[in-house]
Amino acid sequence: MKIVLYLHMHQPWRLARFRYLDLGSGRSYFDVERNLAIFRGIADRCYIPTLDRLIRSARERSEFRVSLSITGTFLEQARLAAPEVLDRVRELYRTGQVALVAETYYHSLAFLLPPPELHEEVEMHRAMLHSEFGANPKVLRMTELAYSDDLARFAESERFHGMLAEGWEGALQGEPATMRYCAAPAPTVMLLLRHYPLSDDVGFRFSSTGWSEYPLTAEKYADWIASTPGELVGLFMDFETFGEHHSARTGILDFLSALPDKVAQHPHLGWATVDEAIQGVPRGPLSVPYTMSWADQNRDLGAWLGNDLQRSAFEAAKKVGLVARRANDPAILTDWRKLLTSDHFYYMYVGGHGADQGVHEYFSSYDSPYDAYANYMNALTDLRRRALERLGVPILK
Amino acid sequence: MVGWEWPPHHTGGLGVHCYELAKELTRLGHRITFLTPFTGPFTPVEGVTIRYPGSPEGGKPSEFPPAYWAGNVPGSPFWNATDGYNTWVANLSDLGNVDVIHVHDWFGTEGGNGLAHRMGRPLVMTVHSTEYDRSLGNPWGHILDREQRGIDAATRVIAVSRHLRQQLIDRYHADPGRIRVIYNAVRPSDRLANIDPHRRVVLFVGRLAAMKGVDTFLRAAARVVPVFPDVLFVIAGEGSEYSRLLHLTAALGIGDRVMFLGRVSEEEREILLSGASVFVLPSVVEPFGIAALEAMAAGVPTIVSKTSGVAEISQGIFHVDFWDVEEFASRIAELLEYPTLSRAMGEQGQWEALREGWSERARETVSVYLEAMNVAGRR
Repeated sequence: MKIVLYLHMHQPWRLARFRYLDLGSGRSYFDVERNLAIFRGIADRCYIPTLDRLIRSARERSEFRVSLSITGTFLEQARLAAPEVLDRVRELYRTGQVALVAETYYHSLAFLLPPPELHEEVEMHRAMLHSEFGANPKVLRMTELAYSDDLARFAESERFHGMLAEGWEGALQGEPATMRYCAAPAPTVMLLLRHYPLSDDVGFRFSSTGWSEYPLTAEKYADWIASTPGELVGLFMDFETFGEHHSARTGILDFLSALPDKVAQHPHLGWATVDEAIQGVPRGPLSVPYTMSWADQNRDLGAWLGNDLQRSAFEAAKKVGLVARRANDPAILTDWRKLLTSDHFYYMYVGGHGADQGVHEYFSSYDSPYDAYANYMNALTDLRRRALERLGVPILK
Repeated sequence: MVGWEWPPHHTGGLGVHCYELAKELTRLGHRITFLTPFTGPFTPVEGVTIRYPGSPEGGKPSEFPPAYWAGNVPGSPFWNATDGYNTWVANLSDLGNVDVIHVHDWFGTEGGNGLAHRMGRPLVMTVHSTEYDRSLGNPWGHILDREQRGIDAATRVIAVSRHLRQQLIDRYHADPGRIRVIYNAVRPSDRLANIDPHRRVVLFVGRLAAMKGVDTFLRAAARVVPVFPDVLFVIAGEGSEYSRLLHLTAALGIGDRVMFLGRVSEEEREILLSGASVFVLPSVVEPFGIAALEAMAAGVPTIVSKTSGVAEISQGIFHVDFWDVEEFASRIAELLEYPTLSRAMGEQGQWEALREGWSERARETVSVYLEAMNVAGRR
């Protein structure tokens, strides 16, 4: 049984307050200073201490493996706010015990946009991983672990050998999540699945004092993994689980440090990167005709495109894309792509019920989803005008 | 209930508050005697007896002038008129079996307190706004005294928002343990179904008083008007600031895009709300802001100043710093520009405004009455 520990590193370019009356002012949509300040804070609390611990684990235990995905917007901010974070990623990568995972550069929902946007963003990301880390990723993940048969076909056409997906019962139809599968429409693409109960034990429940298993020790967790049947156990989570979502005070960092030793006490357990885990014979083909994600109770795209505000904003972004691409101006295209980052749509989620609402509020940088929408639409409207101006089209409004 | 105005004639939210609250209290089985200095006409409510100086049901014929607005009577300055009212209240007899004396704002605090003392009953005071707010920091000492004495004398004080509660503690040194917060509410209207979401009216409803921030409304209008040529800014209300605001409108060069309607009837207000695209309450200080709640109930996307009490109970409205003209203008423009936003906020605001009504407020009020009676040693 191999443990596939995969951690996702992402920061969006959050918007500044861009008022309707700022349209045409030439002001930047993005509050660079605020984003970098947020990044520096998280770097101190999470990225640096966690990377240090992962490096130590890799050095001390040659069998330890970890896989990382790093978005382009994360990398841009890291360069400006905390380059020492990237130094540590490089150091970790040099141990040879690490795989890097490909995705869209802008952490976008580009797979819902007309081609060639998805292809271009994945290519941009692939180029970035190569130039920054010398990496050639074999496995692809989509934003929020989105997966479908169509995306598997895309991965195949882009010469990837594997994809990550949620190990959701609805898609597995009685099959275990702890096995390697191949994509039904693209059998050269192996699927690695997230074991969501074990992943969420750490990601969501670790610091919850009301949880019957609280406190979760590395020893107990290793025992749980050891008693799980199957070949692979996918522990996929946000990198910020360690030190940010759960602060260091909760003991999460010590938990992470202690885990490799506790795992080593079970002779049948081992570690694998995603690149290693896709090697081997699949249990069989898996078909997912709809888009599945790792978010919320429904595992769909409802958190990003579930309400009118979100759909309207995304449709508007899609339309602006037509002129933004044609304007042939790198600044316009880059701003548009930064606006595609899924976080912007997440902030427009209107909830009010159930367990997911708290998660949404935790991640939002706005007073309300209405605030998020208005601000986003202002930036997008301004971008559209810039593109039209560039194209020499008279602006009606 | 020692009050001031009672519908159909009222200049502020106080009259509506007393009317709706009394109506729901009667539904809960309570009977109300409502005292007012005005002679009517009054909208009748079963179970509510309205008495005023010189009213036929009892009380001695009073020297209090039988005019709607006491301040208009020659030789009768405002405070002399309220003194007359308070004297009448304090000396009222044949009120029957009274459990609680409930006084609203400062107008009748002296009389209410006198009556409570004489009858040996607890005094409850609802504070809707304070003199500091109404005067924008230049309070009349005479009114402050009345407020202070009421707050000191009342067994329980009801504030219409947490913001106001804090002010009572900070400025009036009120005992926090005696203050309870009960929000205002709004009654759903039959006309809500007839809303045309596409008419482009930006609406303000309220008294034209300095604390209402109508200046900000007009200055924001001047920023929006050039961008949205089809929008009309409508101001419904009357007050001492009227002529100054009219001059400001002219100075801003937006006279053709602003309509001053003066005071509007309930019905007119409902029609206005049903056609409005945006409602703005830019008050400098607003202990509660029932006008915003009414707009929300009508499904009109609403913008309020952060200092409004109503901001405490709503996520589905925009909150803006009262001084930030650019932000008010931008918020108005965003609601005019993005129909999806306007619809979503209208629905959310409506849900928030209507989820609790006057009956909940009346129940909360009764529990304050019971507390007051317990403290006073009588049940």
